[in-house]
Amino acid sequence: MIISRQKEFKDLLKSIKEQDIFIIGCGKCATKQRMGGEPEVLEMKKKLGRSGKNVVGWTVLSSACNLSSWDEVLSQNPGIAKAEALLVMSCGGGVSIISSVAQRAVYPALDTESLGGVCRDAVVMEQCGMCGECDIQVFGGICPLGQCPKSMLNGPCGGAVEGKCEVDERKCVWDEIYERQKSLGRLEEIKHIHGPKDHSKRRRRV
Amino acid sequence: MSFRNKLLSGKFTVTAEISPPKGTDISGMMKEARTIKDAVDAVSVTDNQRAIMRMSPLAACSALSQEGFETIMHLTCRDRNRLALQSELLGASFLGIKNVVVMSGDHPVKGDHPGAKPVYDLDSVQLLDMISRLNSGVDISGNGLEGKTEFLTGAVSNTELTEAALMKLEKKINAGAHFIITQAVFDAGKFSEFRDKVHDACGKQIKIIAGIIPLKSEKSAQFLNKNIAGVKVPDDVLRRIKAASNSEAVGHESVGIEIAAELIKELRGICDGVHIMPIGAHKNTGKILEMAGI
Repeated sequence: MIISRQKEFKDLLKSIKEQDIFIIGCGKCATKQRMGGEPEVLEMKKKLGRSGKNVVGWTVLSSACNLSSWDEVLSQNPGIAKAEALLVMSCGGGVSIISSVAQRAVYPALDTESLGGVCRDAVVMEQCGMCGECDIQVFGGICPLGQCPKSMLNGPCGGAVEGKCEVDERKCVWDEIYERQKSLGRLEEIKHIHGPKDHSKRRRRV
Repeated sequence: MSFRNKLLSGKFTVTAEISPPKGTDISGMMKEARTIKDAVDAVSVTDNQRAIMRMSPLAACSALSQEGFETIMHLTCRDRNRLALQSELLGASFLGIKNVVVMSGDHPVKGDHPGAKPVYDLDSVQLLDMISRLNSGVDISGNGLEGKTEFLTGAVSNTELTEAALMKLEKKINAGAHFIITQAVFDAGKFSEFRDKVHDACGKQIKIIAGIIPLKSEKSAQFLNKNIAGVKVPDDVLRRIKAASNSEAVGHESVGIEIAAELIKELRGICDGVHIMPIGAHKNTGKILEMAGI
């Protein structure tokens, strides 16, 4: 799941130059996180209306990043044709896909943060650093690129004190990695020196 | 005798930390360094410490070497990728810098450019390993060098270690660190426990230099406890400096000097050197070392 958060409304409003707006929500990750599902789309419609914008319509697509036919979306949502701009309440993937077919200005309502998931009904963030060469098994299934603000691959930095990260007071992920591997009897996996990431693995595919 | 030879031959070393200027004027830094010139074996020059932007340690070390100082260049993983780190190290070697101490580096959000991209292409273990390769004449990609480096390399460590932190320290030593400089020590007993732990896990060949921060006041002690990761000023030291703050006859600064000098005396037999990291200026460093009998 792609983790996103809503932009500050005042910042969003400042960026939108156009008057007639159509709002598009997303039925997948953004709905699950309550960032861009139907209730949030309706709340956005209310706020834009109160701020003097003209909301010409809204919809929640089953998935903003997985569009089989834009013509179908247009025929089901005649409001889109009347809109000067679209406001998309999905991750950056959805905003890009819609921008590629919409032929008008498309604004993101969310900021995309990380690749996460849902575990036992709890949204979990930063589960994957998207390095292009996954060896998460070495770290007990906990991705240090995704979860450590310094992407440390060989252990905690000196800023971790009493189990807390120096950046944001969250638990140091390296204590979790260590404990997980210890409990699995796999400490040897993290005791060798882990070499640097090969960032060429993240290059674009042609 | 060079810092390297002194440390590796088992003699007690004294080093002190200097910060490059926030700007292009090095006169303040040079003046500061001159106050400790005869008291120390080398000065260590920080790399945008606490993620606050300053002149590069390479330039500052070069200026200090021209005046006859031996320097230890700090190098963090925060601001440079592996190309930049290596070219900085080759440049340092060319300019006569013989010692480097590496660390991850405080995250940019802690400093004065919180929006800067955190690089961390390598971590401190990988950086130490890379320096070992440069010392053997190849770069991190395995390409040969025209002229290799000959750095004496150091790493840093807190003295209170979790199992995971001890594991990382062990890796730093395996990656080629010759010496460790610890975060500020205030309790010789605890330092001794740390040293034994490191010796047990990593062998006794590693040189351990104890960090010393002379306290200036109770307020500065509280600041360290609150803001500097890995520093813990114990309650008895806090009480002592607080009592002095309330007594005009003694004065808290002179008690801070006394505490530091006593600590160095206690540590002398159980570590390979001390590294003085004052809050602000080095004006008392000479006196502290004299009182400690060094």
